[in-house]
Amino acid sequence: MNRVLLLIALTIAAPASAQPQSYQRPQRAPYPGSPIEGPVLALPVLQADLTTKSGSDTVRFARDSYVLTQQSLTTLTAQAQWLIQHPFVRASIEGHADGRQTRDYALALGERRAAAVRNYLIASGVSPDQLDTVSWGKERPTSAAAHDATWLQNSRVVTVLKQPPQPMYPLPQPLPQQQ
Amino acid sequence: MRFWNSKSLLLGAAAMLLPTATWAQAGQPQLVVAVPSLPTPKNVDTNGGQTGVIGIQIAQMIASDLRSSGSIVTIDPDKLRRYTPTEAGSPLYRNWENANAGALVQGYVQGRDDGRITVACYLYDLKTRREMTRAGFAVGAEDWRRAAHRCADTFHKAITGLPGHFDSRILYVAETGSRTSPVKRLAIVNWDGSNHNYLTQGEGTVLSPRLSPDGQRVAYVSFAGGMPHVRVMDLDGSNDRALIAGPPAISFAPAFSPDGRKIAISIAREGNADIYVVPSTGGFPQRLTTTPGIDTAPSYSPDGRSIAFESDRGGRQQIYVMNADGSGQRRVTFSAGSHGSPAWSPKGDLIAFSLWNGGMLNIGIVAPDGSGEKTVTNGWQDERASWAPDGEFIVFQRTQQGSGLAWPYTVSLSGGEPKRLAIPQPGSDPDWSGVSQ
Repeated sequence: MNRVLLLIALTIAAPASAQPQSYQRPQRAPYPGSPIEGPVLALPVLQADLTTKSGSDTVRFARDSYVLTQQSLTTLTAQAQWLIQHPFVRASIEGHADGRQTRDYALALGERRAAAVRNYLIASGVSPDQLDTVSWGKERPTSAAAHDATWLQNSRVVTVLKQPPQPMYPLPQPLPQQQ
Repeated sequence: MRFWNSKSLLLGAAAMLLPTATWAQAGQPQLVVAVPSLPTPKNVDTNGGQTGVIGIQIAQMIASDLRSSGSIVTIDPDKLRRYTPTEAGSPLYRNWENANAGALVQGYVQGRDDGRITVACYLYDLKTRREMTRAGFAVGAEDWRRAAHRCADTFHKAITGLPGHFDSRILYVAETGSRTSPVKRLAIVNWDGSNHNYLTQGEGTVLSPRLSPDGQRVAYVSFAGGMPHVRVMDLDGSNDRALIAGPPAISFAPAFSPDGRKIAISIAREGNADIYVVPSTGGFPQRLTTTPGIDTAPSYSPDGRSIAFESDRGGRQQIYVMNADGSGQRRVTFSAGSHGSPAWSPKGDLIAFSLWNGGMLNIGIVAPDGSGEKTVTNGWQDERASWAPDGEFIVFQRTQQGSGLAWPYTVSLSGGEPKRLAIPQPGSDPDWSGVSQ
C-alpha cells in the first residue's frame, strides 16, 4: 500500500522536477519593500526571513561615513550566516546616501558603503558570486519629508534578495527503478 | 530638434567698430541704451499678431533682456519717439541728442510673402555716431521672441564683449511623483521659460544631464538595467546608447570637453570612485585619478586644458584642479566645510561649487588659484551650479526644507535675489547651455 502511494507521488512529482521552472526577473517598480508582483518564488518571504533572522536587512551610517558600527557588524554577521545557509539566493547590496549630499558624491558614497558591506559579508564566508553592489545615491530616500533628521537617516545599505532559490533537487535524473 | 535654422540668418553680425568691454569694467558707469519700438513698413496680420504690435513687443523684450545684465540700463519704448523703417539703417542722430542715452537700438519688422517675418536690429553709439553691430533674422511670426533674444545677445556681445544668455536653453530633470518614488524626465526649456520640451518620458530614473557644446547631444546618467551608468543620446532622443564599452560599471557625473570630443566621467569600483575620460562617441575609459578617495564631478575649463573636480582624499570633499591628462593635481579650496560639484565659468576666471557648511548647502565661487572664495546664495539646500554663456548668471537647484521639492533658480553674480525658473513642475540638475546654433 505504501509503495503504491509512493509510486503515485513520484509520478505526480516527476513532471514538476523534470521541468526547471523558468524564472522571470522581477520588475523594479515599485521599489523593493513593496510586494513584488509576477511569477516569483516567494522572494518577499525569503526577504522577510532574512530580516527576521538577521534583525534587519538594513545597516545605517553616520554622515559621510562608510564605517560599519558595532550594531551593523552584528546585523551583517547574522546576514552572512543566512546567506551561507541559502547559497542559491543572490543578494544586491544597495548603497544609499542622505539627501544632503551633492548628487555625484552621493552616488560615489553609496557605492563605497555597499562595497564596505559586501567586503564584510565576503570576509564572513559568503560567496562573492552571491553578491552584487549598486548605488542609488540620494535617489530613493526612505522618508518623503525633507528635514535634517529624516534626510540623514537615508544613509544606509540594504541587502535586497534578488534571485529566488533554484530548485534544490539536482537536474532531472533517470528515475530510480522502483521494485 | 534644431531650434534655429542657420539659413534664416539674413545679415551677419557686422564687425564691431568699437573696442569692446569699454562699459563693462567694474566700477564704470552703466551704459544707457535707448530702445524705441521697432517700426514696420506695412502693418500686416500674421499668426504672431500684427507686425506693428510685434515691433513694440520685440523692443520691450530687447530692453528687458539687456536690463537684466548688470552693466546695462535701458530707456523703454513708451518713453521714446517713434521713427520710420527707412531710418533704421541710418539713424537721425540729432533727433536722439536729448534722449540721455549712450547707445540706440533701431530696426524694423516686416511681413514676408511666406507668412514669416523679417526682423532686423541695429545698435548705434550715440556719442561717436557710428554703428556698433547689427543682426537680422527671418523667423516664423510666432517665434518673434527668439528674434528679440538673438538681437539682445548680439547687442550684449557688442557692449560687454561676452555673449548674452538671452537665447540660451536650460536642460534639467523634471521631477514628478513622490519623493520616495520619483518620476524623472529630461526636459529642455529656454531660460525665460518658453519653449518647454520633454526629452524622455519617465521610463527610468535619469540624472545629471549635460548638453554637448554644439547643442545636439545629451550625456546623462540612467538607472536602466538597475545600475547607474552614463548614456549619450541625440537631442531628439535617437541614438541612445551606453557611453562605456566593456563590463558594466557604476558610472556617473558626465561632463563634455569644450570641443565636444570627450566626456569626463566618474567610475566607482570597490568603494573607490575615480575620474576617467571617454571619447564622446563611446569607447574605453582612460583613468585620470588614482587616489583611494572619492574623485568625482569633473568640469572642464573653457580652454579644455584643465579639469576641476571634487575629491575627499584629504578627508572632506574639496575642489581640486588637474591638467586634462590627469597630471598636476592640486587643491583649490581650503576653507571650512565640504566643497563639491565644481563648475568652471565660461570666462575661465571662476569656479562655482556647492558648499556644505553649518548645516546649509549653498553655491559659492572661487578663482582657480583659490583666491576670492565667497558664497552667492543663502538657502537651506542649494547645489549643482551651472553657468550661463555670459558668465554673469548661475543656474542652480534649490530644495525646499520640509516638502523636499527642488526647483532650478537663476542668480546674477552682480547681486540680487535668485529667481525661480518658469517651468511647469519641480526640477533638478539644471545645465545652462551655450548659445544655440
